[in-house]
Amino acid sequence: MNGWMGKILRVDLGSGKVSVERLDPKLAHDYIGARGLGTKIMWDEVDPNVDPLSPANKLIFAPGPFSGTFAPSAGRYDVVTKGPLTGTIAASNSGGSFGAELKFAGWDVVILEGKAAAPSYLWIADDKVELRSAAHLWGKDVPTTTEMLYAETAEDAKVACIGPAGEKLVLFAAIMNEMQRAAGRTGVGAVMGSKNLKAIAVRGTKGVRVADKDGFAAACAETSRKIKEHPVGGTGLRLYGTDVLVNILNSVGGLPTGNFRTGQFATADKVGGESLAARELQRPRGCFACIISCGRGTKVLSPKYAGAGEGPEYESAWGFGPDCNIDDLDAVTKANYICNELGLDTITMGSTIACAIEMFDRGIIGTAETEGLELLPGNAEAMVEAVRLTGMGEGFGKKLGLGSWRLASMYGHPELSMTAKKQEMPAYEPRAIQGIGLNYATNNRGGCHVRGYTISPEVLGVPMKVDKDATEGKPALVALFQNLTAAIDSSGACLFTTFGLGAEDYAAMLAPLTGEAWTAEEFLKCGERIWNLERLWNNRAGFTAADDALPPRMTQEPMPSGPSKGAVSRVPEMMPEYYAVRGWSPAGEPTTEKLRELELA
Amino acid sequence: MKVQYFALLRNATHKREETWTRPAADVRGLLTDLCTTYGEPFAKWVMENGELAKFVVVLVDGHDVRSLAGLDTPLADTSEIAVFPPLAGG
Repeated sequence: MNGWMGKILRVDLGSGKVSVERLDPKLAHDYIGARGLGTKIMWDEVDPNVDPLSPANKLIFAPGPFSGTFAPSAGRYDVVTKGPLTGTIAASNSGGSFGAELKFAGWDVVILEGKAAAPSYLWIADDKVELRSAAHLWGKDVPTTTEMLYAETAEDAKVACIGPAGEKLVLFAAIMNEMQRAAGRTGVGAVMGSKNLKAIAVRGTKGVRVADKDGFAAACAETSRKIKEHPVGGTGLRLYGTDVLVNILNSVGGLPTGNFRTGQFATADKVGGESLAARELQRPRGCFACIISCGRGTKVLSPKYAGAGEGPEYESAWGFGPDCNIDDLDAVTKANYICNELGLDTITMGSTIACAIEMFDRGIIGTAETEGLELLPGNAEAMVEAVRLTGMGEGFGKKLGLGSWRLASMYGHPELSMTAKKQEMPAYEPRAIQGIGLNYATNNRGGCHVRGYTISPEVLGVPMKVDKDATEGKPALVALFQNLTAAIDSSGACLFTTFGLGAEDYAAMLAPLTGEAWTAEEFLKCGERIWNLERLWNNRAGFTAADDALPPRMTQEPMPSGPSKGAVSRVPEMMPEYYAVRGWSPAGEPTTEKLRELELA
Repeated sequence: MKVQYFALLRNATHKREETWTRPAADVRGLLTDLCTTYGEPFAKWVMENGELAKFVVVLVDGHDVRSLAGLDTPLADTSEIAVFPPLAGG
């Protein structure tokens, strides 16, 4: 095969049995790879009602056809499983080099089944696959684990691993690769921990075959040019990273502050990308084949929060910063480092602490419940300690590790959890920005910004400006972004290539790579198919239209201050049109006609 | 009126914000004056052939001028204007 390697690796962790299967070319074409292909395998093989932390759940690692080629900024992979935080299908996307290395080792998909008898790691060296003891790694943080594995496998191996958080089954534990890149959301790291799997180390010596080398080189040159010429991808991201968004969201009154109580934070600039560039930034960083380099290599010099690593990204800085009423960038950066070291989703972590802070502030919980932590708005020290306790599974961290919905419910106040389908909404206020709220409510993994990123047109004006306060046209816009993102996520490309590229550009690279016919329409249709398959999975797992909702604060408490004062989220009034646009019944279920059209029935 | 600058624009203006005392009846008037003051490093992101540059974001009191009257959006002495070059994240 061209583009794809043509092989699936299946490992039964209980018996240690390793088997090799052929990748069906039709499946590859219909689901592309990564998120799509992983979801299709989950649909075919796993009961959606399975307990996510039981051996019956499966854990799938899959790069896309672009991964490992010189398609610009396109070396990513997905981890697909049933998410313990939400109970939905979960596909968590990550950059770095791990995905490319899986391709070089000859694999399109790695399926982990069952549970190892004792802590183990998987070592993949091309066709040689070994399950080895991880007794000496269990309990170690991500950087230590990674370096120990480089030493005992290969110096240039790539490692994806969990930290103590995944071992302790924190419901939002992440899987980290190259130490600083995260398959972050929905608790994929807990699934890995539940299988007694500490890490996968991989090294490959093969290469990705290209059907039409000259055609592919020309297509990649063209897409590289478009990305570089776009002012956003070409300049802005490299200089300031994603954290540059703090100020613009704050200025429009859409920066969720104090657990989404309001949308503006007076000292937001102190935790924005400009401040980060002036203070902690050492150098930009990029992933495999990346021409953008949005990553931040950073360092905190002040003794109180000293450390080095990567980040924070915008949503991470938001979660530990304005969402907790904190404006100390050193503390925010330190919290980000701890998440990377212990393997935690920064967004859910920050938002869960913000929820705990609101409960503490309101007297719903006190130091008796928090075991001494003074979780008051603006208390940076307590916030950083809360992160560490969560990652280590100690003290109040044990409860924080359940995520904000279960935490708030425990104390009788689920309405204080800023989640959709139990996953925390990231750093954009649904009352100030109507489309992103609809995306949060309908996203197949709950509160997720990135898979329907209408912030781009609604706030940034890219590719064109739409009125953020309008509801007209938003259902179709949200569905379009969700479909396109599903296809891009499945191809191995980074979402930041969308600053410059459209569906026709991905098709123009896929065609000479794979030797198959690809059009923009077909690419988008794959995305729509993948979205609908995720929806089918969730419906079978018991999700209904009632779950396509935001917290009551968003729809019932008008924004108290700022440029969006008085606004509420109008998700409920947009929902019927969203279902109609998607070709679903009024109950939010894909119709037979729609499923036939997508070849899902 | 208060004018705030962000990201790359701060390199051109060498400040985060300022109190603008020269008269400006509307956004066009203000931006034209700012482009003259700060020159090409500022202007190239903000105005193109007398119109707003492609991805610049100009807010008046937190509202995007493209949802108001564009460059004709009127300004008052108490207006707060924020200017952003092309931005991304996610």
